[in-house]
Amino acid sequence: MAWNEPGGNNQDPWGGRRGNDGPPDLDEVIKKAMDKMGGLFGSKPPAGGSSSGGFGPIAVIVFIALLIAAVYDSIHIIDQREQAVVLRLGKYHETWGPGLQWKFPLVDSVTKENVTKVQSKSFNNKMLTEDENIVEVTISVQYVISDIKSYVLNVRNPQNSLSQAAESALRHEVGSSEMHFVLTEGRETLASEVQVRIQSYLDAYGTGLTVSKVNLEGAQAPAEVQDAFLDVTKAKEDEVRLRNEAETYANGIIPEARGQAQRQMEEANAYKEQVVAKAVGEADRFNQLLVEYKRAPEVTRERLYIDTIQKVLAETPKVLVDVEGGNNMMYLPLDKIVGNRVTESVAQTGGQSLNASDLDKVTRQVIDELRQRQSSNRRTRELR
Amino acid sequence: MSSRSLFVSIVILLSLAIASNVLYIVKETERGVLLRFGEVVDADLKPGIHVKMPVMHQVRKFDARVLTLDYTPQSYLTQDKKPLIVDSFVKWRIKDVSKFYTATSGDEIAASRLLASRVDDGLRKQFAQRTVHEVISGQRDELMDDLTVKLNQVVLTDIGVELLDIRVKGIELPERVNEDVYKRMRSEREREAREYRSRGRELAEGIRADADRRRTIIEANAYREAEKIRGDGDAQSARIYAEAFSKDPEFYSFVRSLKAYQETFSADSDVMILDSDSDFFKYLGAPKTKQ
Repeated sequence: MAWNEPGGNNQDPWGGRRGNDGPPDLDEVIKKAMDKMGGLFGSKPPAGGSSSGGFGPIAVIVFIALLIAAVYDSIHIIDQREQAVVLRLGKYHETWGPGLQWKFPLVDSVTKENVTKVQSKSFNNKMLTEDENIVEVTISVQYVISDIKSYVLNVRNPQNSLSQAAESALRHEVGSSEMHFVLTEGRETLASEVQVRIQSYLDAYGTGLTVSKVNLEGAQAPAEVQDAFLDVTKAKEDEVRLRNEAETYANGIIPEARGQAQRQMEEANAYKEQVVAKAVGEADRFNQLLVEYKRAPEVTRERLYIDTIQKVLAETPKVLVDVEGGNNMMYLPLDKIVGNRVTESVAQTGGQSLNASDLDKVTRQVIDELRQRQSSNRRTRELR
Repeated sequence: MSSRSLFVSIVILLSLAIASNVLYIVKETERGVLLRFGEVVDADLKPGIHVKMPVMHQVRKFDARVLTLDYTPQSYLTQDKKPLIVDSFVKWRIKDVSKFYTATSGDEIAASRLLASRVDDGLRKQFAQRTVHEVISGQRDELMDDLTVKLNQVVLTDIGVELLDIRVKGIELPERVNEDVYKRMRSEREREAREYRSRGRELAEGIRADADRRRTIIEANAYREAEKIRGDGDAQSARIYAEAFSKDPEFYSFVRSLKAYQETFSADSDVMILDSDSDFFKYLGAPKTKQ
């Protein structure tokens, strides 16, 4: 069976020391190998030379070259970010961490992977939602190799499995959600549910991958109906705009109305103050006059009467009619008199109307006429 | 060249040739069967190095990892007779190596083909039992788990394969149905947009009407208050007048009348026609004391 079982006596066919303490000293290895070679091919050569004809040196050079290649192939530097799976004779042997590692040539095979780098894959597709609408969703899945042994050994093409798991999980979750939820508030929830689902698939397949984050990068309506969706957004804006306009109107008219109301109140108050003050004033004036009147009623009364009539008559054109009773027919061109006075003031530039002297003349004529009539009347009265 | 070194070389070459025929390695990612003249003698070779007899023994190795069978999208009919384009994949693994070898002669592609037709048939049945809605939303897991369980026993006994998972990636409507969906989505959005706009107008109208109402009320209240104040003023003034004038109503009436005369005949256009008998003219005709 296996002639070099792992964990055995570690007999290295090349005579080097298989060391956890680093690679063996190169000179020492070469020297040992040379010694063995010499022994193998039958002659014990003196140091540095060969006395066995032409074959010896060539064999040695070939052997050294092979040896160097083997050593070069055997030394592995594993970066801090990496791990490596070692298969010894096809069987899983161990997993290497970071550092300088040594493998047996031909016996061990090494697969190195970066296990700290967060890798990312994006998917974009149209899919059906629960309410049989179509949405276009873009997600990105970030993942790391968390179990390099599983990653290397369990699944053929684990990255491909991740793609399939992600697409299936995403469509499953979107298919179980309503479109509105996917497009709006559901995005966070959806992403975390997709993540859980992808992880469960990956675990079931034993991919050794761990999903660190799922981002729902975009969820939108497909291009075919994009404009209708945009119109909804615009309609929402319109709603706000209409409301704002109405509020602007309200904010405009109500303070104005309040101002008007204030004005009305102020005017009413002014009116009130005015009429009361006027009343008080007039009442006071009357009271004072009354006191004096009480002292000399007749005289005061007479004086007030004459004063007033004088004032009235002084300002008014007047016609004194000295007639007895109403049996005398009398014609006075009153309308003319009044009309002339009016037209005089209205049409002074006209020239055709009566001027002030004309009017005086007319008035005098009228008065003379009246006097004559009155005197004749008196005379006739006296004669009777 | 010495005969010894030649001998050693020959021995090395010979042993290498024998070793390559006698020794074989089964990798951790592989499964293998050992055949003796075509007959399976070891159906489950462990990873590692093994020895076999040249000529007599043969080794067949297969990939033991999880493999993927990714279908091209197929059209399935649901219970409600609607066609759906379904994109699915199957995760499988060789479980019974000797069965796998005998059933497929170790050909992975042949195995995939066998598997594909069974899964396809199973999916067809599963879809035929469900409506579109059930398939899309609620019952994906159920559908796939059901199918996995049903098929697993069959494929294990038939081709030595274990099904890890049957999973539907995409379930799509055919392209011409998509058009109808878009039309419906569009009409739904139009309805929604109309609703927003109308609601905006409704709100706006309400706000305006409310503002108008408030304005009218403010104006009415102001009018009421103003009239009240005016009335109050009028009442106060009336009381004041009454108080004063009731002291001598006759004299008041006299004074007031005089004032009225004065104000009435103030305009230029007024013409007074006076009778000489009036009291004012009592001295005009006769400068004597009238009796």
